[in-house]
Amino acid sequence: MKRADVDIGPYRVGDSDLPLSGAAVLGLLEGVLSRGVPFRFRAGGSSMAPFIRDGDVILVSPLRDDSPGVGEVVAFLHPETEKLVVHRVIGRREAGCLIRGDNAEGRTADLVSPRNVLGRVTRVERGGKNVQLGLGPERLAIAFLSRAGLLLPMCLGASRLIRPFRKSSR
Amino acid sequence: MTEIRMEAAYIPSEDVVAREIEGELIIVPLAAGIGDLEDELYTLNETGKDLWARLDGKSTLQEIARGLAEEYEAPPGEIEEDVRGLVQELVRRRMLVEASGR
Repeated sequence: MKRADVDIGPYRVGDSDLPLSGAAVLGLLEGVLSRGVPFRFRAGGSSMAPFIRDGDVILVSPLRDDSPGVGEVVAFLHPETEKLVVHRVIGRREAGCLIRGDNAEGRTADLVSPRNVLGRVTRVERGGKNVQLGLGPERLAIAFLSRAGLLLPMCLGASRLIRPFRKSSR
Repeated sequence: MTEIRMEAAYIPSEDVVAREIEGELIIVPLAAGIGDLEDELYTLNETGKDLWARLDGKSTLQEIARGLAEEYEAPPGEIEEDVRGLVQELVRRRMLVEASGR
């Protein structure tokens, strides 16, 4: 090395040319939450649709010794893949939480140990606006319907009812 | 401009989280009490990372510069100026604080 090159380079994530890997996001999330501070990042994937969509910005807050309740959306370390996942708690067991994506009803719920649950989702932003649906008191009903395998049919039914109304209201 | 004292020790601010991930040091400012990936993040190059690792709140910048000069093929005066420059920038961005000022 010819000289001590000590420049720092700020970069933006999102439209950045230096995108962060899933492992990097996980490492930063753990680092930030361990300081008792919420962590805000852009979610990817459709497993939580329609309540969290691909590209929504979510805020994950520390659990603060308070285990997540049924219906809450949590960020956790997947027991098999060890990747960061954001899904909903649909049940509790002695060994941990039963967690599944809202849009993944055909799949078996993951049993996740409390030490692998990293934080709870406390805010969802879409297009610069807060989206509360799915995080309020209705979360219990969503978890119940998800466990019963009725959430997706209900959502599809609701969207069929709402769509004609939207068209006619223009 | 922030005055940097080479005889002082500096330490990472409590307002940042720094993690080395996949060989890269990434610094997240905790702006407004949130670690925000939608905001600016910072990364340091190899030498900056080496400097960051030595900012333990005990070693003075002079001592750190001497240590770096032993490791890198560069004139000590040049290394000292580079250390001063980076520390100044990091202090200006509130990522570093003088150890006695914590």
